[in-house]
Amino acid sequence: MAWKIELDISRCCACGACAIACMDQNDIDLSTGVRPYRTVFREETRRTGEIRYYSMACMHCDNAPCVTACPSGCLYKDPETGLTLYNTQYCIGCHSCAMACPFGAPTFGPDGKMRKCDGCIDRLRAGLEPACVRSCTFGALQLVKADEDPVPPEHSLVAQCRELAESQK
Amino acid sequence: YSKGKIPGAESGIEIRHSVCDICTPGMHCGLDVYVKDGKVIKVEGTPDHPQNKGKLCTKGLGNRQYLYREDRILTPLRRMGERGEGKFEPISWDEAIDTIAEKLLSAREEYGAHRVAFYSGYSKWYRFMFRRFAGDYGSQNYGTESSSCFTSGLMAWQLTSGYAMRTDLGKTNLFIGWGANSYFSRYPMIGSMENGKKRGMKILIIDPRITPTTRRLADLHLRPHLGTDGALALAIAHVLIENDWIDRAYIDRYVHGFEEYAAYVREFTPEKGEELTGVPAEQIRQAAAMIHEAGSFCINESSAPIGHHLNGLQNYRAMMALLVITGNVDRAGGQLPGPHTYMERYCGFETREEHFMEERYPHDAPKAVGAGRFPLWYDLRHDMQANDLTDNILRQDENSVKVLFALGMNYRMFPQDGRLAEAFGKLDFFVDVDLFLTDTAKYADIVLPACTSMERGEFKCYPGGYAWYTNPVVEPLGESKSDCEILTLLARRMKMDDELLCAGYEACIKYIIQDLPITVEELRAAEGPIKVPGVTPYEVGSILERGVNTPTGKLELYSERIAAHPEWGLDALPTYRPPYNPDPEQYPFLLCAGTRIPNALHSRLHDVPWERSLLPDPVVEMSMEDAERLGIELGDPVEITTSVGSLTFQALPTATVQPGEVYIYHGYRELDINSILDGAALDPYSGFPAYRSACCNVRRK
Repeated sequence: MAWKIELDISRCCACGACAIACMDQNDIDLSTGVRPYRTVFREETRRTGEIRYYSMACMHCDNAPCVTACPSGCLYKDPETGLTLYNTQYCIGCHSCAMACPFGAPTFGPDGKMRKCDGCIDRLRAGLEPACVRSCTFGALQLVKADEDPVPPEHSLVAQCRELAESQK
Repeated sequence: YSKGKIPGAESGIEIRHSVCDICTPGMHCGLDVYVKDGKVIKVEGTPDHPQNKGKLCTKGLGNRQYLYREDRILTPLRRMGERGEGKFEPISWDEAIDTIAEKLLSAREEYGAHRVAFYSGYSKWYRFMFRRFAGDYGSQNYGTESSSCFTSGLMAWQLTSGYAMRTDLGKTNLFIGWGANSYFSRYPMIGSMENGKKRGMKILIIDPRITPTTRRLADLHLRPHLGTDGALALAIAHVLIENDWIDRAYIDRYVHGFEEYAAYVREFTPEKGEELTGVPAEQIRQAAAMIHEAGSFCINESSAPIGHHLNGLQNYRAMMALLVITGNVDRAGGQLPGPHTYMERYCGFETREEHFMEERYPHDAPKAVGAGRFPLWYDLRHDMQANDLTDNILRQDENSVKVLFALGMNYRMFPQDGRLAEAFGKLDFFVDVDLFLTDTAKYADIVLPACTSMERGEFKCYPGGYAWYTNPVVEPLGESKSDCEILTLLARRMKMDDELLCAGYEACIKYIIQDLPITVEELRAAEGPIKVPGVTPYEVGSILERGVNTPTGKLELYSERIAAHPEWGLDALPTYRPPYNPDPEQYPFLLCAGTRIPNALHSRLHDVPWERSLLPDPVVEMSMEDAERLGIELGDPVEITTSVGSLTFQALPTATVQPGEVYIYHGYRELDINSILDGAALDPYSGFPAYRSACCNVRRK
């Protein structure tokens, strides 16, 4: 089954519960300088007074620029789940993926190797939700089937990011 | 760890059940703790737990790092350096308990029991035993951080109805979220509000700021200036009375003091309300019309936002008077009596917790600290108003506290907290029990290591008639012990004449739940909270019918309890006073200290790296208009000056804040906003600090 991690922007309040759950799941040790895989933020548009809240991690793009950019075969699309996965054994620490990613998803550990959200692939395979989705109190983060769009495009982070990624091509 | 931390025989990861006690027993959400080889490796919310139904907040999800925080104390410690310096040496439990027991016994001989104070910060699970301990010892000087939290609202209800109250949110037609932003605090309420909206419930949010709650859930959002809630309530009442949108029959039968109240309210026209609160008169009329059209409504109970003002308790009474005059107290969809079952929480059944504490209360001992300064507090609470402790110690007279025994004390919770730190220096002996070597613990002579909820077993109750007795999910770290075990060790060593305390926590719980048709053993065997057999839903209206617990037996808009004591100098009606500002020209801004952020609760999560990473630097939120006028951009250093001192924060200009107001979170040791708040600015009714309507100046540094 192919999946995507969707954010209903109209339900997010950037409380950061997802980010903490992600760090707990992935044993993020911030003292090593590694960046968390998931970030939340509040965006205010001064002109309109509009306020939006976001939770972002790897968007698991269909035509993932990081996979295209990766010279060493570390990053790949998982045919089963549609997620963008990686095998650090092959990572050469060149940062090409970071340059290519429109969303700033890749981060690098003290070993110089890339790491990022893997959609909690092991949990998915065990029939569990990703840690971030599992933790979201307000129903903003959702695990949805890749070919379905339950969130209207104006509230869908996936739709907005798809648009952004296309515009950068 | 095994890939993905998947629980099961293959990975050796087991899910065990506990509760999160980072915040108050009013929550204590169910924790699913992933344990491998005796270590916690991950936490989640327990799916079928009645409190949190599988979810946890931003704070609760940090439980693993909280449990394994680097500064966890692992042995008893004895101070070696100066107070506050942080130099300690490990000692044995025997030596620590001997030293403390001897000192407590000799202090009673030397000074008298009243010069020994017992203080509880967080957590709170042990409080019923601690209060009894203080009573056994013979001191009324048992005090808690509830001197600044929750009690103000409770006292307002004690005056009005004699009971703690709760909302009938599931049935109401209009929910008033007065100072409620549940996205950041008390998150399960968002689900209740959303469900209410689905069945046609209206929502009125009253909050100076724009929040996710005001934007997404409010049908109407009123934005009074900080600390003016009472004036707003009185102005709404004016409109209700003027239009006769009140319940005359209910008032005649159940309410005392309506005429005096109505006469007082007459001056609070919507225009006057606008002048005092900044809320347009038209919106005040609109809110009153909403109340009238709804028929039933309830107002969220508030722990801090309403109480943290000089007129906080009176403002609370004024708000709750709206329920009284419209006949919404003890009526379906309104505010219902919520007598506390256990740990200041209504769960639908009775325990003997209150009796357990009260039967050892030292009636003949000298009155508690703060009794003279805050007579209403003392009259209703019978214990120490801890906000008077600093002055009491610094006075250095024959009634000054000389010995302080504290569990989880955080001096940064006090206004002008540097004075309390100074007062610590005047103590003969100071014990603090805590998880961490906190800034407060550094002032103690002996520090004892407590353990978290995951390392102990405890009795729990939840609304809906639920009870549970948890089991530890991991061994206590190092030599740490539960707070209650520490109290029992001391009670035994001091040979207290108290079989229950000496027998220990479980014996005390057995005593408290002896009337329930369920045992500790059954509760302990359960995987989570279970229904106590035979609990029936409250029959709405029954308490009102048999007469409420006030001097007149009626709901008192005019408090006879206050009127009986003219020497207190307090008003029997819910009168209004604006926030105090000695010099509006010098201090043109109102400062709200302690406004909730999702990733912190007081100080204890500032040192949890995951939590801190969400908002690493202390910021001051201010309006775009003020920022522009003062030439302040995002991230600029901004100096906040009060009558006590100045501190410099990073600017966070935002459209969510009104001009003339600034918001700062508390508890940062490097930028502790409470350190520059006036320690004398205390509500004369409750003793609560005016944390949320202090005056200050703001400038770019």
